[in-house]
Amino acid sequence: MKIQMLALGVLMLSAFSVDAQRYFTREGEVDFYSEAPLEKIEAHNNSATSVLDISSGKLEFAVLIKAFQFEKALMQEHFNENYMESDEFPKSVFKGNIDNPEAVKWDTDGTYPVNVSGKLTIHGVTNDVSTTGEITIENGQISAHSVFVVAVADYDIEIPAVVRENIAKEVEIRVDVDYQELKK
Amino acid sequence: MSGKKKILVLALVGLVVAAVAGYAIYNKPHQNMTKAKADHSLSSTELFAAFEADEQAANEKFLGKIVEVNGTIQEVKLEEGVQKLILEGDGMMFGVICNLDELTDSHRDDFQVGEAVSLKCECTGLLMDVVMKRCVETHS
Repeated sequence: MKIQMLALGVLMLSAFSVDAQRYFTREGEVDFYSEAPLEKIEAHNNSATSVLDISSGKLEFAVLIKAFQFEKALMQEHFNENYMESDEFPKSVFKGNIDNPEAVKWDTDGTYPVNVSGKLTIHGVTNDVSTTGEITIENGQISAHSVFVVAVADYDIEIPAVVRENIAKEVEIRVDVDYQELKK
Repeated sequence: MSGKKKILVLALVGLVVAAVAGYAIYNKPHQNMTKAKADHSLSSTELFAAFEADEQAANEKFLGKIVEVNGTIQEVKLEEGVQKLILEGDGMMFGVICNLDELTDSHRDDFQVGEAVSLKCECTGLLMDVVMKRCVETHS
């Protein structure tokens, strides 16, 4: 009986350690800010998904364009219809890596700066991007934070001359996610 | 009034009307979800199955549309900044995430896991789950 319990314990422990390598969320926060001379535009989305593999540093994000909520209905309409064409391109995806996963002590509380690089797809256009971020470990909970800038023109998004003073050429994107362990 | 003055007054009136109309369009309100008419009405499991079977076809049918969805609550998250119910989807891990309408902000806060609800939302697409936003409860 004792041996059986021990075997079960070992089995559970090994299963746990394999599963514990992957973390995910489906309520990641992604916000963006555009500050142009005439207008400040911001939009929020708290339904981003992300998967993080802490052994390899592999990292993925996905966000639905229509899930961004703006303060002004008109801005939201223009964003979806004219700029992001969200009927045709409903999601934005990032697939990449934490380049220095060894810099994070995943089992020790703290905030660790990381470098992230990969491919970002917006509006059907994929570009190589790299940025910095922070991984925070608190009581075993992993969360990630990053702020980076995206140039609208890099993603074939055209801003008509009439509203050029209203929409910034570079948009700031803020990402905040709290991960949960992925249990199978 | 001389002809010139008349033109000036008319031009001024026109300008004011244009400014008011422009301002109204610029500040046009978000759709009123309580009054919005649903384009589709179905169960959360049917909606999830439609996306799982053919995402592109489901996108064409549901994306940006007002969808009335009814189903069993699998998970309730009512915290600051996150106000959502997850309705049953594939019967396992994934479902239909219903973000409650932050603009109406009049939903009740006693939703229970296992409770059957009917919500009217705007459908935004599929990630791991089907994601809906601006959900308001309907009583049909």
